[in-house]
Amino acid sequence: MSDHNQFYDAPLEEVEPGHTFLDSNELILNMGPQHPSTHGVLRVILKLDGEKVNDLECVVGYLHRGIEKVAEHRTWAQFGPFVDRLDYTAAVSNSLGYCLAVEKLLGVEVPKRAQYLRVILTELCRLASHQVWLGTHVLDIGAVTPLFYAFRDREDILNVFEKYCGARLTTHAFRIGGCRWDAYAGFAAEVLHICDDLGPKIDEYKDLITGNRIWLQRTKNVGYISAEDCIAYSITGPVLRGSGVEWDLRKKQPYSSYEDFDFDIPTGTAGDTFDRYVVRVEEMHQSIRIIRQATEGLMEGPITAKVPKVIKPPAGEVYVSIEAPKGELGFFLVSDGSAMPYRLRVRPPSFINLQALAKMARGSLVADVVAIIGTLDIVLGEVDR
Amino acid sequence: MKITEMLRRFLLIDLLEGMWVTFRHQRPSDLVTEQYPLKRPDISDRFRGQPRLVKDENGKTLCTACGACALACPEKLIKVGSLRDPETKKKVLTEFDFDLGRCMFCGLCEEACPSNALNLSSGYELALYSREGMELGRDQLEKGIQGKVFEK
Amino acid sequence: MIQSILQYLHSDVTPGEAGSLFWVVVYVLLVFAGISVGVIFMNWFERKIMAHMQVRLGPMRVGPHGLLQPLADALKLIIKEDLMPANADKIVFWFAPVCVVMTAFCGFIVVPFGPTHAITDMNIGVLFMLGVSSLGVLGVIMAGWASNSHYPLMGSLRSGAQMVSYEIAMSMTVVSAVMMTSMATGTGTLSMIGIVQAQLHQHMWFAFSFFPVGITALGVFSIAMVAETNRAPFDLPEAESELVAGFLTEYSGFRWSLFFLAEYASMIAVSSIATTLWLGGWLRPFPNLLGGKTWDTAFSLVPGLTFIALAALCIFYFTRMPRIRAMRAEATGLAAFGGVLGLIGIVMLLPGVRVRIQDIYWFTLKAGFFMYLYIWYRTTFPRYRFDQLMKIGWKVLLPISIGVVVMTAVVGMRQELLALVWR
Repeated sequence: MSDHNQFYDAPLEEVEPGHTFLDSNELILNMGPQHPSTHGVLRVILKLDGEKVNDLECVVGYLHRGIEKVAEHRTWAQFGPFVDRLDYTAAVSNSLGYCLAVEKLLGVEVPKRAQYLRVILTELCRLASHQVWLGTHVLDIGAVTPLFYAFRDREDILNVFEKYCGARLTTHAFRIGGCRWDAYAGFAAEVLHICDDLGPKIDEYKDLITGNRIWLQRTKNVGYISAEDCIAYSITGPVLRGSGVEWDLRKKQPYSSYEDFDFDIPTGTAGDTFDRYVVRVEEMHQSIRIIRQATEGLMEGPITAKVPKVIKPPAGEVYVSIEAPKGELGFFLVSDGSAMPYRLRVRPPSFINLQALAKMARGSLVADVVAIIGTLDIVLGEVDR
Repeated sequence: MKITEMLRRFLLIDLLEGMWVTFRHQRPSDLVTEQYPLKRPDISDRFRGQPRLVKDENGKTLCTACGACALACPEKLIKVGSLRDPETKKKVLTEFDFDLGRCMFCGLCEEACPSNALNLSSGYELALYSREGMELGRDQLEKGIQGKVFEK
Repeated sequence: MIQSILQYLHSDVTPGEAGSLFWVVVYVLLVFAGISVGVIFMNWFERKIMAHMQVRLGPMRVGPHGLLQPLADALKLIIKEDLMPANADKIVFWFAPVCVVMTAFCGFIVVPFGPTHAITDMNIGVLFMLGVSSLGVLGVIMAGWASNSHYPLMGSLRSGAQMVSYEIAMSMTVVSAVMMTSMATGTGTLSMIGIVQAQLHQHMWFAFSFFPVGITALGVFSIAMVAETNRAPFDLPEAESELVAGFLTEYSGFRWSLFFLAEYASMIAVSSIATTLWLGGWLRPFPNLLGGKTWDTAFSLVPGLTFIALAALCIFYFTRMPRIRAMRAEATGLAAFGGVLGLIGIVMLLPGVRVRIQDIYWFTLKAGFFMYLYIWYRTTFPRYRFDQLMKIGWKVLLPISIGVVVMTAVVGMRQELLALVWR
């Protein structure tokens, strides 16, 4: 199997015998799949001129598991656990997207209580995902402590997940038609406790990171992408909002009762790494607001709609997308009336955001490439599926 | 305003603030590490761990050998063997094979079981040295995998 | 011969000056052992302190509270396979860690742990230390070159450039401190023991003299020394997430442990320079202000009391250990360690011992403060990108250090300048 990428196809006569790589101007550096800061198995081939990046190519596929093909051989309900493994840091979010898509195909209306429960859990999951992003991004830039603080704060959220659905990471939280479990005893108290605790802890990051001059120097004006380029590349999520475009699916195309809640969409202005950082941290605060409103407004009612035991949606196709922590996660489902999907296509936000890496990194230094990969917040499970 | 800004920059106030944050976290009550074998974590009720076949008070298995779990499993790793009892005309469970090596602990089998016989319990210490022990038979599912208890 | 050996005990100069070969060898071995123990202790200390700042516990399994962890690490590194890349330059590859370790340890020849507790007291002591630490750069570049691979080469060149640029700022602040030694008497000295005695004479540690000149010099030096030893936040060449491990990539096993030893030894060396030049070396706090026999005795009790306090801490943790059979060995070990510390503390309280020990104790405490700062910086700060690092070295620290030298000169010549102005 040969690597079809432009750099390795260069003719060999360019390097003369007797000359080493130090004589040429350009160095081809491979940040290979095994690397502490490529957030998974991402391979980045850099064309360097000294320290400056001239061009960049990503080679993906090292984590490809054929999830979309697997979907064609599982029933609609059986595919639920697989969806968690896409963006494994935010499993509940993926589950929500998939269930909403199948429910739209079936034409089923989920009861209000289930919608509110889903919102609470999805926003908790957004907090957890942003904690992972924060810890790993800051670690790549060199500060080792916020990772541990972020994961310590994340423990509370994962404990809630464990008590709710039995697993911390691959949660399989929702079912088609609603939720399988109701809130356990003490759910509301614990969730509100998290809301109270987490706000000051996120503010602590401000002292440790946001105001820190080293952080500012490492992230300001690094990885710039303009709003027009973002829209041209179909980039969504905090990357888009960091460049100044106020687009959040929870507000613009609300789903699952998000229109009942009052929250802001943080938007940046400069389109650089620092603004994306600020946007995500502010999103954490807004998530806490949503969770508080949803928990206090949680009404009584059924937690699932009436859905047949064997799900056979009518033939047709549907595209439903949600605002996942990484961006717009979409599910395109084609049903032919049988118990298994005919085709399931995932619109992975990380994969599409990864296109911007070359644009952002051109002209910057090698050390910035690591920062830019971190700021795009990619998860290889989603990029490769 | 400019003077304070300049002083902040020159006296490295922002760096000192960061240092204060890390310094005050050293309080021993803040340290969150759980020393694992000495103190085991609290597992919730709904935890999806080691699969078990539940027996009733008389020691008779609750499983009716309906095969719903085998149908529900996305990985098709459950095999239910049954005989039809000539007197009661009901299915009786003979074998139950569960391939733990391929299980992803999704809980669909537990949901599908109509008699609450299959239960993903709170066992999480499931590691083995080779793949052979991963295919669980009916006995192991009823008794549970006995972990090796190290008591020096 | 025994005569000459015993004769030294009555003299009040360092062994090098007294010309006593036997005692020079004894002191060399003591310093070597002391620094090695210091490095080992630093390993444990760093892991525990970093862990506590990161709200976790750190090593707890190997020995009670991880006290035997450094020994386990050392053993592992010694028995690990020493790889050499196929096309590496064998001699240079072998020599690089040797060079770095030798230069790191050579600097300790002049470090004074007390008024006569140095191996020798060269009258160019500070210059010697700075020169020897510059030679360490050679070792780093040799390591990168000999590894015959992209990553280490880039890392070593960057590391070399960084060390060289921050040495200039360091040396400028050292010049300022040396100038301060001449403030009272009119003649300065480069000798390490002489610098501390000048501080004693002037009744003020140089860090606090002529505020803010002294403290700025100390500040610039403590930033430059962090960059000199390639530690966070200036550790880009060693950064794991950038270039795997920079010039250390191809080194494994014992050779890697030599680099590690040299890094920590040079950290201790520059901390010693900082302590000697600005924090009064071996002087106890307020030697002149709170002088006299009673204060002397009071302060000389401090080392023994510190060890007894540490022993009490050990016993406290011993009582909190779980009382199960599996933990018996660890609990006994911790109690024994506490006992040993307590014994050392009691020995240190004896009048004969405490007079001699207190200089070394205060010196170690102050150098230890700088080591704690090193760990604290590593835990807190992200790392600088290489161009920003060089910019800080040349465009920020160097002008400030030149400014400090000029201010020191102005302050030193203040009488003449005032006379000039008011003529």
